[in-house]
Amino acid sequence: MNGSSKFYRTKIPVVRMVVVMKNLFTIRAFHKSLISLSSSTRHFFCSSSSSASTFAIKNVTKSNFESALNDLRLYVKDADFVAVDLEMTGVTSAPWRESFELDRFDIQYLKVKDSAEKFAAVQFGVCPFRWEPHRQSFVAHPHNFYLFPRQEIKGDDTSYEFLCQTTSIDFLAKYQFDFNLCIREGVSYLSRSQEKEALGRLNARYKDRLLDSSSCWREGVDTKLVRVADILFSERLKNKIAEWHDGLLGDRNGASQTWKTSNDSKQQLKTIFFKMRPALDLTGFTSHQLRLIQLVVKNHFEDLVYACVAGESSSQQLIVYTDSASGRDLLMKELKDCLCKEAEMKIKAAIGFRHVIDLLSSEKKLIVGHNSFLDIAHIYRKFIGPLPSTAKEYVISIQKFFPYIVDTKVLLNASTVCQKISKKSSTSLSKAFALLCPQIASGVKTSGLADKRLVKVEVQVDNKRSLNWNSGAKHEAGYDAFMTGCVFAQACSHLGVDFTLNPSSVDLSHHEKLQEYINLLYLSWINGDIIDLKTGERKADSICSKGFKAHHSKILFSNTVLLWAFPAKLKASEIRECFCKVFGSSSITFIYHVDKTAVFIQFSKQELVSDFLVLKETLERSNDPISVLHPLSKVLQGGRTRAASYEVYKQICSSTISKVFFADQAEAVGIEWNAKLSKPVLEVERQVDFEASENQLYTDTRNETEIVSGIDPPLYMHSPTDELDSLCPAEAQMSK
Amino acid sequence: MLLQRRLLCTQVPKRSIHPTHHQNSNLNNKKWAIKQVTKSNFAETLEEIKTHIFNSDFIAVSLQKTGAFSSPWQKVLPFDTAEVAYLKAKYAAERFQVLQFAVCPFSVKSSKIIAHPYNFHLFPRDELKMGMPSYSFFCQSSYLTAMAQEGFDFNACIYDGISYLSRAQELAAKDRTGNPLPRSYMKPSQSPTVYSVADSMFVDRIKSRIKIWKRTCQDSEKKTEDDLISTLRKIVSGGEVFGSRPSLSIDICSERQVQLILETLQEFTDLVPLLVPAKVGGSQAIRVVLTSSKEDRNVFEKELQLMEEEHNMQVRGFREVVDLISTSQKPVVAHNAINEFAFIHSKFIAPLPSTVDEFRSSLCSVFSHIVDVNHLMREIGPLNKVNNLPAAILYLKRRFTRPLHMEIPQHIDGDEVRVHGRDVLRISELFAKLCLILRIVPESPEADYSTSSSTLECYANVFNPCFISSSDLLDDDVNISTEKTRRISVANLVFLWGFRGMMSARKLKSLLKGSHEVFSGEIDVRLADRNCAIVVFWAPGFAERFLKVMNSGGTNCEPIKDMISEGLRAACYRTYKRVCELSIWEPSLADALEKALEEASDLPEANSEEELPAICWDNDELTNLDDL
Repeated sequence: MNGSSKFYRTKIPVVRMVVVMKNLFTIRAFHKSLISLSSSTRHFFCSSSSSASTFAIKNVTKSNFESALNDLRLYVKDADFVAVDLEMTGVTSAPWRESFELDRFDIQYLKVKDSAEKFAAVQFGVCPFRWEPHRQSFVAHPHNFYLFPRQEIKGDDTSYEFLCQTTSIDFLAKYQFDFNLCIREGVSYLSRSQEKEALGRLNARYKDRLLDSSSCWREGVDTKLVRVADILFSERLKNKIAEWHDGLLGDRNGASQTWKTSNDSKQQLKTIFFKMRPALDLTGFTSHQLRLIQLVVKNHFEDLVYACVAGESSSQQLIVYTDSASGRDLLMKELKDCLCKEAEMKIKAAIGFRHVIDLLSSEKKLIVGHNSFLDIAHIYRKFIGPLPSTAKEYVISIQKFFPYIVDTKVLLNASTVCQKISKKSSTSLSKAFALLCPQIASGVKTSGLADKRLVKVEVQVDNKRSLNWNSGAKHEAGYDAFMTGCVFAQACSHLGVDFTLNPSSVDLSHHEKLQEYINLLYLSWINGDIIDLKTGERKADSICSKGFKAHHSKILFSNTVLLWAFPAKLKASEIRECFCKVFGSSSITFIYHVDKTAVFIQFSKQELVSDFLVLKETLERSNDPISVLHPLSKVLQGGRTRAASYEVYKQICSSTISKVFFADQAEAVGIEWNAKLSKPVLEVERQVDFEASENQLYTDTRNETEIVSGIDPPLYMHSPTDELDSLCPAEAQMSK
Repeated sequence: MLLQRRLLCTQVPKRSIHPTHHQNSNLNNKKWAIKQVTKSNFAETLEEIKTHIFNSDFIAVSLQKTGAFSSPWQKVLPFDTAEVAYLKAKYAAERFQVLQFAVCPFSVKSSKIIAHPYNFHLFPRDELKMGMPSYSFFCQSSYLTAMAQEGFDFNACIYDGISYLSRAQELAAKDRTGNPLPRSYMKPSQSPTVYSVADSMFVDRIKSRIKIWKRTCQDSEKKTEDDLISTLRKIVSGGEVFGSRPSLSIDICSERQVQLILETLQEFTDLVPLLVPAKVGGSQAIRVVLTSSKEDRNVFEKELQLMEEEHNMQVRGFREVVDLISTSQKPVVAHNAINEFAFIHSKFIAPLPSTVDEFRSSLCSVFSHIVDVNHLMREIGPLNKVNNLPAAILYLKRRFTRPLHMEIPQHIDGDEVRVHGRDVLRISELFAKLCLILRIVPESPEADYSTSSSTLECYANVFNPCFISSSDLLDDDVNISTEKTRRISVANLVFLWGFRGMMSARKLKSLLKGSHEVFSGEIDVRLADRNCAIVVFWAPGFAERFLKVMNSGGTNCEPIKDMISEGLRAACYRTYKRVCELSIWEPSLADALEKALEEASDLPEANSEEELPAICWDNDELTNLDDL
């Protein structure tokens, strides 16, 4: 059986686990697994609820979207919360667009915005969870939608484009992402603003046509009759139509002379009725011939109208008879309305996956994500509209659509209860899932006592149900959403939300135990900065001290200059040396590599920023021996070196351009920086936690990140995130 | 327990396509025997294609990309000068990715084409974990959808596509990896250098060190020693093992020392020096490997070579094929060469230079002859409008009835329809036909390619979109008229936008005609995109006069004044060029021109006296723009 071999394979990890635990039990464990194997095989056939079974997640593509959406409507309506997760084609459009500790709050948002604007979402996991009191368990309905931004309606002339980050695509490939299914069968979508635009364009077009009725329907009818064949064809058709026309009139005059179709044109010209008017149905003509016919009708028949109406399968070409000028106008109007309606239908049909988002929004359900700021930004950009330029405007707008969002990463790090359970270990999704929901993650039955605290989650896909379903497909949006939901349910239980007490479902959005976590998201995990969606402000007193034993150092943005396009291969230590020679040995707090072409330099005093910028300019202008021998000349060598205040960094980040190297980016953004001595704007000081450990994660050889710190904090480096997150920037976001 | 479910990945339906094109081009299924190459069969194919490349007369190439242009005006348009066309091609090449690269070495022998078509599936996987060859790339959904409709297997391409590095990237990689694997063993220069005292001291020291080490090695070979002692001995002598042979690393601190050591080593016939590259470039040590005999030395050198080749293959990947084409010096045939070669240059050679002249010379140093079938087609007058391969082939079939048979000797297993990369066969066929018609290629089989090369020469390396070779471009302002095509200096072109709503070119023309006397002469109006028109003033000087009127705000001319107040704007061709130079790739040309004008107002009016090139204006060529 195909199925049995599948089950056997899925059981192996269970066996291995037990082996690790105690060798002695191996045989028993094996025995057990064989039993469950046989039972699950059985369940495979009778498809009822079982203790351990696997069935495929609900994958949704173009072909089953309509039916899946209808089912989902019911599930979401009844749900207590809905977990979501996205897979994207990339995270950062350039290495320097990765999240840095030196990124101010506003810059962190700009970086997320850039990511959501450039990359495509290719998979969308939606998993509604509902508490079933009589079963004392949650029922989850994991859905895995494949998305592809296909252009379904003709828009303006711009094409649909998205960026792919090579490492991310490779990462998806590693987890067996099905690109063929995504591109061929992925569900398309239209954002609210795209829909509005399309409808606006439609209206404009039809309004235009009303004003300009002479040209309407006859556009492109300027084909000149050049070829003999064309002239002959037109002449013949003219006669035919005239014959038919006269026949109609003859009818009316009481003469019973009907128009006889000759043999050859039987198929091509057929009399039908169109909106109660006699009409000729034109079939089997080439488009060139149709154009000629159009010309004939226009030039020779006052009371005939050439019309193109959409039929069931393809469009239908007609010549319609109208008895008067008013009748003609009426027909035109009817035709126009018909076309307009049809175009509107097309736009409605193109909404596609956005129906799911509209559903989540209109039901005002609690949305659960894991480290979901970027996910939510993607949702906004893809299904609502262009991202506002500031975080504040953005969160105000997002709250209108999703008033209740909760993030499991925030929850796990913020609540002391959860922290105790997770023992300060990684809060990456799969780790948290394995830790909090062991009974689901590995199918291991725990002892009765511990079991009591574990929230049961039953999975339902179509009509198959299982209490410890585990597809095992990490980094698949549908499964990740399911894991997120499970982690959330379990975390709630730890926080003291008692599902069992309530006769019906609990209102989680307004539950007092959850209030302090709702609508908080990590804007940047690296910085531990949390954004409050209600205010758009940074959560002042981080409720989630990450618990690092850390050195504290202030990042003073006004003390910081950005230096780029300095001579290649110049190391941070050398730059530091040059600066210390000029401004004193304690003048530099730290130097931080953005990439190999740019560094941040933080001075100990704010005035040193302008001192340096002025000095740099003077040195560059003069070409005397003193300036050549000046210690800074090593940095300025080559004459391409640029420097600017921190505000310029923001400007560069907000550009839509993304060059791989920062120096190229700055050049492309193209402002003459040298002269820019922008005044320090609002001073934002920040307390940042520094990890003193040596395990520098930023081992990216491309950038040769090298950080030289000031005297007090011995080392300044990217603080570690999850182990998983550290593998590679692209994976980091995806694995969360 | 990994994801059985996902093993149910969509399989590409084997016979998903029934190419309708077959009826057109009379090619039966067997003729689409294009070998599909991925990582798994790349090594074997490389050997195969090498022979074919060197034995064939021409090589046709065709690329399948993830996108081309983002909005209509960003495509190479007939009124683009070579410079502008290049900038547009450059922009596309830098953004999009090549997923399929079809190569077809072919020969034409007495009305027979012998072709060996291959289609390579590429994916820019970061094999070296250095962010190369491509950090990210853009995709156009319409392109991906079209490829999917052809039955292209994206999973196979992404999971198993061949990666590559460009020449420039390979150099950078060598600089940065500091891979201790000795990549290049080298021969010292022949001229004996003059030794200073320090030098000879260094040399003596090295010499004695090597001698001692050699002796230890040879001693230990003779007697069987205790493992511990031999290990200790190795530590003391500083010896290591390279493969099965003993080796010794000598640290160095300058290139001078490298030179000296290499010279010293010449005395020892059984020693092979290897350079260990340093992380920051240059070398950090010399590794000396002891061979047991002359034969052994030869064997070892061969081994090294193989190792190097293997490593190179891994690093260069698909670029090996490009390099083979380059070294073969065979003429390369393409369709829309400027677009194709902008991609080839940026992905496999180096980042694209900023001007078309640099591009041309850089490209010529790699490929000596590049022939654009598009350009050849223009030689046969009426064809110049057919910019589509099947249509062009069909046309030639009707007009020139000389039979030409395509023969594909290679046999491909399985009955899959191998349609991917079929354009390369069309290009070969079209080229062969055109050559016969234009008498470029000798018709008798005994005459060889060299005699024909001079004829071909004049068709090679032309990248102008406006259908005339670059030498013609120099004689400015001469109206060469071939049927409907006329030459015109770009000084007589004006871009116009900001007219009310959507307007057809015809309507706009009639509107302009009545507005001012400059339009009384012969003018042509075409739409460049939805909101921007291009106006040709056939009478010289009128364009300038019109721009003056526009700049003055339409003084003394009410209709123009009205139009300006409604938002009408105008710009000269130089502004258009600046748009491309500054990479202002707005979706709408009107917006882009507006931006370029703003930028220009900041800058002092420079080089306004520059000489303006001419383009060819062909009315028919542009009519399709009206359909937008």
